[in-house]
Amino acid sequence: MMGVVCVYAYNIPEGKSGQQVVDSLQKQMDIIGATKTGNFCVDCETYQSHPQNAQQRSIHILHNSEQPATCFSVLDSGTVLVSDMLFDLIMNTMTQAKSGREGFFQQRKGFKIESRGQRYELADFVIKIGSVSLMANFKGVLIEVEYCPSQVPGDCWNLMKEILQSIVGNTADTPPSYIKTKMDSLYTPADTINQYLEHFNAFRKTATPGQQNR
Amino acid sequence: MADNEVERLTQAISLTQKLRTSVTRVFSDLSDGYHISQGNEKASLNVLQKALLTVNDNYSDLEKLVPNLNSVNITAPNSALVGIDPVYDKTPIYSQITHAHKWTNKVHKLADYASAILSPNQLKRTHQGGQPLAIKRQRKTPHAHAIPPQGVDQCISALERLWSDMPITLSRPMGNCAVLQITLSRTLRALIVLRGLLIESVIVKAYSEDFLTPEGKVDLWSRSRYQVFNKVTDMVTAATLHFCHPQMPDLSLRSFLVWFNSYKTLFSAPCQKCGKHLQGAFPPVWRELRTATPQHDGCRQT
Repeated sequence: MMGVVCVYAYNIPEGKSGQQVVDSLQKQMDIIGATKTGNFCVDCETYQSHPQNAQQRSIHILHNSEQPATCFSVLDSGTVLVSDMLFDLIMNTMTQAKSGREGFFQQRKGFKIESRGQRYELADFVIKIGSVSLMANFKGVLIEVEYCPSQVPGDCWNLMKEILQSIVGNTADTPPSYIKTKMDSLYTPADTINQYLEHFNAFRKTATPGQQNR
Repeated sequence: MADNEVERLTQAISLTQKLRTSVTRVFSDLSDGYHISQGNEKASLNVLQKALLTVNDNYSDLEKLVPNLNSVNITAPNSALVGIDPVYDKTPIYSQITHAHKWTNKVHKLADYASAILSPNQLKRTHQGGQPLAIKRQRKTPHAHAIPPQGVDQCISALERLWSDMPITLSRPMGNCAVLQITLSRTLRALIVLRGLLIESVIVKAYSEDFLTPEGKVDLWSRSRYQVFNKVTDMVTAATLHFCHPQMPDLSLRSFLVWFNSYKTLFSAPCQKCGKHLQGAFPPVWRELRTATPQHDGCRQT
């Protein structure tokens, strides 16, 4: 069970490195009185169906350390399959060539992306500051704020806005676009995964060499 | 029995007095000296002998009575024993007594202050109007806790129809006491233990939590995983005192639920006093008792 999560990309100001931003954010967490409760990681790998199939489809496999025994598979259409960790093994066998046939899926090279960082708790809030890296190259900073007691985004959005604005600033004036469509329904872990995937896809597109190795 | 004893005691006292007078007479006569005329010595001796005999008689009378007397315990206060303590100068008893005395004074003073502060706060379980009304009510015995299960069932089913967003389920996991499980909108769940129609305890948990023990029974004790709901539990428990009314239990339960219903906006309503949602990472967890307006715990106290 989990509460409502909002994920925002942090705008990195000119002339600052990712590490500096993360450090200042962590300092800010100490100031508002949040306590460190370990690390977290959300990772994503992308597979593509084999070219011999008529329709080319891609599938994203994501893991979230908050749900350590779960594997999320997301299609481009947005459909999410929530399954046990064993699904990874199924995916493995599906990518392997067997008895002269090629596998059903291929892993896309250079697409492994993850957000990794510190996890903080402040009363019933969980705040995560993750630095995103694509194939070990730093891409940006993602901030996740979770309000655990509530499950309806529409109920607690205004309340979350107050704490979000103090961390990410004006970016949090409106809810994340994915949440906007879900304001009145019960929030599930799959919704978090969809938010992360949206951000990951955006980061992959901005793969300009100038931003690498910051 | 006791009368007998008292009688014997008074007898003994009078006998002692008699003995004393006779002995005094002997000695006073002896000290005064006798006027003895010639040949009258014998008479004088007789007088003395008679006096001594009276003493003897009185003494034997008293002696006869004494075995019948029970020893009387004189229960003196402990402080009286101080006087017979031979080394009382060396014992710290005096300073200890003064110390205790000082403390008693202090406690008395503080109790005075406390009662002065508490008296304007009406946190009583009984509402008493004017004096004559209060006397009249005192005579009625409160029956809120002794309502038969059918009465409780009726009352709850009537209450249930009042709110569409607050389903109430009634169960009796431990005999006669009714346990209400309330789901308030999609905000929270509450468990209310009733004795008759008297609210015994209230526990508030998140919408995502349940009131089941690992064995699948109703869990009456555990608290919520989330701090905000533990705060709400404390607030609501305090409010049950305000709403309690022993003479009109159904009304008190009903007004409590009307008030409790306002918690469905726990996360969405801002504080009426400061206009903000968060205060120290908590939403407005308090609802004003009369108007049910949301307030932060901190704003409520100012």
